[in-house]
Amino acid sequence: MKVLPTICPACSNQLKVKSLICLQCDTEIQGQYELSALASLNGDDQSFILEFMKASGSLKEMAKLLRLSYPTVRNRLDEIIERVKLAEKPEENSRKENL
Amino acid sequence: MTEKTTNSQPSPDKRLSQWLFNPFKFIAGFRALLLGVAIILLSAFFGWLGNTHFDGVIDVHTGLQGPLWFFCTEGLINWVCMAIPLFFFGLIVSHRSFRMIDVLGTQALARWPYLVTSLAMLPGANRRFAEYIMSRLGMGAAAVSINYVDMLIFAFAMLLSILMVIWMVTLMYRAYAVSCNIKGAKAIITFIIGLLSAEVLSKIVIIALLTNRFGANSTSF
Repeated sequence: MKVLPTICPACSNQLKVKSLICLQCDTEIQGQYELSALASLNGDDQSFILEFMKASGSLKEMAKLLRLSYPTVRNRLDEIIERVKLAEKPEENSRKENL
Repeated sequence: MTEKTTNSQPSPDKRLSQWLFNPFKFIAGFRALLLGVAIILLSAFFGWLGNTHFDGVIDVHTGLQGPLWFFCTEGLINWVCMAIPLFFFGLIVSHRSFRMIDVLGTQALARWPYLVTSLAMLPGANRRFAEYIMSRLGMGAAAVSINYVDMLIFAFAMLLSILMVIWMVTLMYRAYAVSCNIKGAKAIITFIIGLLSAEVLSKIVIIALLTNRFGANSTSF
């Protein structure tokens, strides 16, 4: 499956969703939708979060799974949390604008 | 459980360099602590055989004979004196949560280059050369004759020791950065302050131990 691009290759800004399509009936919805904070992460980070969830949120399990040390895994999670927080900021701003 | 890859796997060369210069990416916590303490004690054992004292966090000196326990205590003092200030710096500077066992474990393991130093200092040529220097400086040692082989072995041991000091300090920094999750200027500055304070602290504790156990005339190697 193709990886969803989240960053504009021309100007490096965050991409938004413009259209969605149903492959069953060809219905197409157009608009301007924000990517969720998780969807805005890159593929590696999304896989990490998925594995982390499967490991019941256990950093020790993740360390075993990835054959990395506990602090390395924890640091990686902290980095992803920072990126999610950054990605959430535009959403907050747009919500405020809508209010 | 099978190994998963949520990140692109590094090439074998990169993985080897990571094991050499940042093994804490793969090992930390209790495993690092056990391995690190074993290495510290083994270094102390070889130090005892070759009269090599690690009498400070980054110090290596050859000289006085002593009981094995004293060499072991020196190694353990150096490790604890380095880990404790870095732990407190981590608490102050890092805004993340981290575990003391990781700081203790990684700092213990970071001392492994001194195992190589203790082995390099084993040949009798090093002791003969040190005694020769002492006698030339008129520092009480009896006249000792040395040959070119002794000089070559001593020069090699010195060169290797310098490289090992640089390697160990690099590992200590990496251990601090990984275990406390600190990066950039904050990490470098606090590490340097931590290293300097640990050096002073370890010297004070070792000299206090030495004078307490062996008398006031035994404060230098």
